[in-house]
Amino acid sequence: MDFDLTREQQELKDGAIRFAREELNDKVIERDRDSVLSRELVKKCGQFGMQGAGFPERYGGLDLDIVSTIALMEGLGYGCTDAGLIFALNGQMWTVQMPLLKFGSDEQKDHYLTGLCKGDLIGANAMTEPGSGSDAFSLTTTATRDGNYYILNGAKTFSTLAPLADVFLVYATVDRRKRFMGITAFLVDNRTPGFTIGRPIEKMGLRTAPFAELGFNNCLIPATNRLGREGNGATIFEDSIEWERTCILAGVLGAMKRQLEQCIAYSRQRKQFGKAIGKNQSIANKIVDMTLRLETARLLLYKAAWTKHAHGKAALDAAMAKLYVSESWVKSCLDAVQIHGGYGYTTEYEVERDLRDSIGGTLYSGTSEIQRNIIARFLGL
Amino acid sequence: MIAKDIEGFLLAEILADFGKQAIDPDADLIEQRVIDSLTILKLVAFLEESCGITVLDEDIVPENFSTVNSLVRFVEQKRRG
Repeated sequence: MDFDLTREQQELKDGAIRFAREELNDKVIERDRDSVLSRELVKKCGQFGMQGAGFPERYGGLDLDIVSTIALMEGLGYGCTDAGLIFALNGQMWTVQMPLLKFGSDEQKDHYLTGLCKGDLIGANAMTEPGSGSDAFSLTTTATRDGNYYILNGAKTFSTLAPLADVFLVYATVDRRKRFMGITAFLVDNRTPGFTIGRPIEKMGLRTAPFAELGFNNCLIPATNRLGREGNGATIFEDSIEWERTCILAGVLGAMKRQLEQCIAYSRQRKQFGKAIGKNQSIANKIVDMTLRLETARLLLYKAAWTKHAHGKAALDAAMAKLYVSESWVKSCLDAVQIHGGYGYTTEYEVERDLRDSIGGTLYSGTSEIQRNIIARFLGL
Repeated sequence: MIAKDIEGFLLAEILADFGKQAIDPDADLIEQRVIDSLTILKLVAFLEESCGITVLDEDIVPENFSTVNSLVRFVEQKRRG
């Protein structure tokens, strides 16, 4: 068993750190305050190879295996202080690009995938509805076949990147009696008549990853824009969400390391009662706990990636990694704020933003409660 | 034979708590909530193991999984390659 990255993986990770530090960290505090994500940043990430990391060269990707992709994302998370950007583009990669790659026709891939990988296009997933979150397959958006078209009616919410997106992967039911097997996936262009994108929804954290509500009012979609077969949508969604659970928190590993180093440096430099605060066990113990969380989170996430690489499916490992990394990140963010005292509560020191951003990780891609349900099911409970 | 195996699996593994003795081979398993998004994973694993077939993601559609009879047709088709 070898726990080291290969030389190539380490170079990828180091390159990602350099790129992120040089190109992605300008005015993050202001962008977070104003909830801004620019197309320019998305384009830069595409040119670097982020969105195309795990995708074939034919579509402008780097054709990396999943473990190497995780290493690259870890580097981006370490170098980039804009967690919303990393989250948003990962969401696009795993819940739009990956379903396109696995289930799309050649025409659909040629039309969308290269642009998404290169950062020329932005894609958004549209599954969640006002009345269906964790119970995703109880969605009510309908798709009615009409000749060579489908007519979509309904509403979606929390669609990440929606305010900027060019194309949406929308899940709707063609037959509610068929329940989860009525769900079908469609590619919807942002200018489709009858399709409306609401204003960005204000939120606690990950503010640079804007999300919005969507409306479908007799929205006419060519049948050629159906992704996969009728009734295959639930399987497409399950597959994409497993990819997302495995990969989307890789950037957090890098962020945890960056935050840990920041806390260690601060605890050495900050003096109270005539000594560095890190000499107090109450501070040092927090930093030890943060270190252990990082190491265990890293092991779980890389193991999930390895399992998916080796066996194709990794539902249990992905759920465990997603649950543990997200909850560890929240705990470490709370410790980081506490270590920094009053300064940690200020915007300037940036650990308060980490804390706000970290909460999202326990909610998106299946809440912590849903991850525990999945794990329990694998235990025969 | 395949039909009996599938029926037996559904009765034992998914409908064990309902005391059913038989399943109408044309009854809609999805509409009657015998199969849901969780139990279908068990069913797929059973088909792969006991019928010696590989079920692809794109195979998981109503026309293959709606009834015992459609499952039988699906398995036979897979076996023929």
